[in-house]
Parts: sequence; C-alpha cells; structure tokens
Amino acid sequence: MTFFKKLTCAVFIWLLFGTNVSFAESVAFNKAQLAALKIQNMGKQWLMLLWSVDCPPCFKELAIIQTLKRHHGDLLVVIINTDANDEIKTERKDIIEKFELKDFTNFHFVDGQGDQSRFFIDPNWYGELPRSYFVERNGEFHGKSGLVNQSLLTQWLVN
Amino acid sequence: MSTITKLVFSVIACTSLIFTLNTSEAAAHNHQPSHQAMQSEKEQVSPCKGIEIICAKTVTSVFAPNGDLWRLWALHSGIYFQISTNNGDTFSATTRVAIDKEKISARNENRPKIAFDKYHGVYISWVTPKEKKYTADVRFSYSSDYGKTFTKPVTVNDDNLLTGHSFNEMLVTDEGDISIVWLDSRLAYQLSLQGKKINGSALYLGKANYRKNTTSFSNEQLANNTCVCCRIAMDYNNHGELAIFWRHIYGDNIREFALLTLAQGESAQQTPYQISYDHWKINGCPHQGGAISINGNNRYHMVWFNQGDVGKGIFYASSNDQGKSLTKPISVGVQLAQAAHPHMKTNGDNIDIVWTQFTGTEHELWHQRSTDNGKSFMQSVKLATAVSGSDRPFIINKNKASYVSWHRPKQGHLVQAL
Repeated sequence: MTFFKKLTCAVFIWLLFGTNVSFAESVAFNKAQLAALKIQNMGKQWLMLLWSVDCPPCFKELAIIQTLKRHHGDLLVVIINTDANDEIKTERKDIIEKFELKDFTNFHFVDGQGDQSRFFIDPNWYGELPRSYFVERNGEFHGKSGLVNQSLLTQWLVN
Repeated sequence: MSTITKLVFSVIACTSLIFTLNTSEAAAHNHQPSHQAMQSEKEQVSPCKGIEIICAKTVTSVFAPNGDLWRLWALHSGIYFQISTNNGDTFSATTRVAIDKEKISARNENRPKIAFDKYHGVYISWVTPKEKKYTADVRFSYSSDYGKTFTKPVTVNDDNLLTGHSFNEMLVTDEGDISIVWLDSRLAYQLSLQGKKINGSALYLGKANYRKNTTSFSNEQLANNTCVCCRIAMDYNNHGELAIFWRHIYGDNIREFALLTLAQGESAQQTPYQISYDHWKINGCPHQGGAISINGNNRYHMVWFNQGDVGKGIFYASSNDQGKSLTKPISVGVQLAQAAHPHMKTNGDNIDIVWTQFTGTEHELWHQRSTDNGKSFMQSVKLATAVSGSDRPFIINKNKASYVSWHRPKQGHLVQAL
C-alpha cells in the first residue's frame, strides 16, 4: 500500500469518527474497537456493560447507570448491545434514548456475528446477561454475569 | 467523544483496515487460493431476500403423522411454511399461514410452534409482542384442512392484561387435545399495582380441543417464580400425562431446572421436583432452556445447561420415577469449547443428544447417541458447521428414525438423519 493510500485511509477514518458519526448512535463492534478501548482507558477504572433487548434484568442495570449519571455526571462506562440482529435496530435506539445513554460510548454486535464478538471479548462467557466487566487501571478485566447492584456500581465508577 | 478517543480509534481502525487491504493484495497475487476461498464463502453464506427461510433467525420443524416434514419460520409479521415428502431433501414452495399479519417473536429461545392431530389438523401457536416493552400475548390458530385455511387467531392467555406472556410450547394429541404452556407475568403485574414485587414469572397451561368445539383455552397456573427468558420443554409420559421441564428460580436467584408431571387423582404431584443442583446464581437471563423426552418404559430423560459453582456445562440425567430420583448427571460436550443449547429425544432405547460448540469463528453442531437407554454413550460426532450465526438445534423423530434440524441464518436450514 502506498503512503498516499495510507494517508487517505487515516484521513477518512479520522473524518468518520471525528465528524458525523457519534457513538451515541451505536457503532458496530469489532476487535479493533475493543483494542482501542483498552488502550484509551489504560490507567483508568471503567465498566463495560453488555445488554440485550430481550433481557429484562439488563434494563435494571441500564437504569442504575442512568441514575448514577444523573447524580455524578460523566462516568467511564462503555455500553454494548449483544443482539447481533438488524431487526432490533429501532428497539435498541429507543432503549438507549429511554435510559439517557446517548452520551456514553455505545456499540452493538454485528448481525450474525454475536457469538464471534462474545468470544473475542471473553471465551469463557456463554452469553448470559447482563454481563458487566469491571476493568482495573492496569487493564485487567473482571466479568460478572447478572444484575449488579447500585452500591457496587457506584463504588466502581464514582469513588 | 474526546479528541484522544477519536485518535485512538482512528489509528487502530486504520491499522486494521490497512492490514485487511494488504491481505487482500497478497491474496490477489495468489489467484488460485483466493478464488477458492471466495467460492467457498459464496457457497456458505448468501444474502437473504424477502421471506426466504435463509433470512429467518429461527426455524421450527416437525414430522406430521403422514410422514411429511413441515418447517415453519417467521419474517416481516408473517408465518411461512414448507413441506417435504422426502425427509428434508427437497421442500414445497413457500406458503404463508393464511392469517392476518401480526408481529411474531422468533429469535433465540422464542419461536412459533407447530403440531398435528391424526385427522390432517395443523396447529400453530406463537407469541406476538405488544406495544409496551416485555408485553406479549400467546396466540393460536388451527387448520382442519392440512394448512389450506386457518381459523382466526385467538389469544390463549385469558387475563387481557398488557403484560408478559411468552415462551410458548405446544403439544397436540392424535385426537386434537391441545396443551400450550407459557411463561406468564400476570401475577407480577397485579402485584406491581400494589407496590409489591415478585421474582420471575409463572408457568401457565392452556387446554382446548378445536375438533370437539372447545375453542376457549383454559388457563391454569402450574408454578410460580420461573426464570423469565428460557424456553420450556414438555413431553407426554406413558400414562398420557404432561411432564413439563423448565428453569426455575430457587432461593436467592439460584437458577435450576424443575420438573412437574400433571398426574391425576391420588398420584397428583403437588410440588415440582428440583432436577439440577448446579447452583447457578444469576439475577439475569441465561437464555438456555432444557429438553425432556420420555421413552416407552416411562423413563424421563433430560438435558440442561448451567454455569453454576457446582456444575458448569451441559448435563444429561434420567429418572424412572418421574423426577423424584435421578441418575447421576453426566457431562455432555466440551465445556471449554462453549458447548451449549442442548436438545434431546428418545427413540426406543436410543437416546440422541445434540448441542452446539463454538470455535471463535464457527459454530459446530455435535451429536452423541446412547443405544442402551442412557447407560452408556458413543463418542460424540461433529455433524456440521455454521459461519454466520446459529439457531438452536432440535431433534425430530419420524417413526424409528431420528433427524436433527438446525437452522443457520444466511446459510440454510439443515435436516440430517442421525
């Protein structure tokens, strides 16, 4: 690949991420983005929360994040929808809006690639939801399945 | 999004893209392998169009009493079917179930169900989501002419409440006795109006017989505190009684499997038996139901999936006293290879179990058979793979032959003799 091509590519992606496409709209998730998240948040304590439109307990955790955001402002939370189904695009958008999550980085698994995405995040996770990854400052991930209570989330994200 | 964030994502995404482009270029210089790879990919994944089965997320297959294989799927608010007279080698043209269009739940654990009586009656049940999130009704329609016409759909749950009714399962006897079970949130809804909470849903049973003009479904609560997002399983035992197997919530969100036989009279079972003791504590959605199949000697055979402190993975066990006692559960599949979504069926002394595993890029369909009523199992065999998602696999029987039905979205529906 020529230098010119590489430069064009870099400018294109910079424009893509830098102008119109806000992550509030939810972006298709891939390995590169996971790597970017890890690098970007190295040295910080953050949360990666995975949810589905078919998971009632997920909504409870999204509601907790909504509450914490209202009380504490910016939180280091990355939100990933796992449905991997283009048919639920509108539902996904409605839920992100309902729980006022647009200011967070929102991703979704690509249609038909749900298990591939799940696997590169964590091959020991079987898809049960909600799934929360507590990421330490040194980049170490600690996965927990099921609804996490508000006090633990507060402790991790606020204190 | 901060500038730093944008920069990091741009650099990594660009690097990834450059790598991809370089790979493409390298492949372009090596025509033969590249061409073969593209051909192979083309054969495996196809773009879906309209209402084709390849576009569906789920497929339901059942053999009718005359030996025809029916397969059923839902797309764009319609239910479609095809019939095969040669065990799935070829299928008829696609026909839409002749009812008004309405939304149909058809993904993961939820899908339409189909059953038959011995008089060419066809019975279809499905779940239609309502306007409010997590509200749905269980629906039903009947055809007395083998699918040419269908009755106007009715709602099976009789509470008329805007709340959850879903994960329907249906069995129909030769004489047309319909049994539909589902997970029902009416109690949770009613308690919420009083400011009270209850954990989970309730298990409900509806019965009717359209051939005998009993077209109004009874509604009976069988259990409370069930898991809210796993399919139910059921079968008839040798006395013609329904045995129902589902994921229950015990104690503080311990999700274990429970079994209830709807026996009559003195032998009526009051409390469901707890079947699994894997201690999976999760206040969430496993999205993995079990399977039950009862063979000629009234032995109950079951498979399930758990991720508990005590047991992780797929387990098989059987019971000769309707679940009161159980053989020691044995592990099925490779836990480290993501073994999940088991289904099973008995056929004489044969016990067939199928499940999926995942390599990180491909789903694999696996099969294991016992020919001695579950005493021992042959080595497991990989049957097929999928590259663009995987529906749950199911075993369907036609007389003494067993088949696996496995839908692979964008790739096709597989029917294979076991």
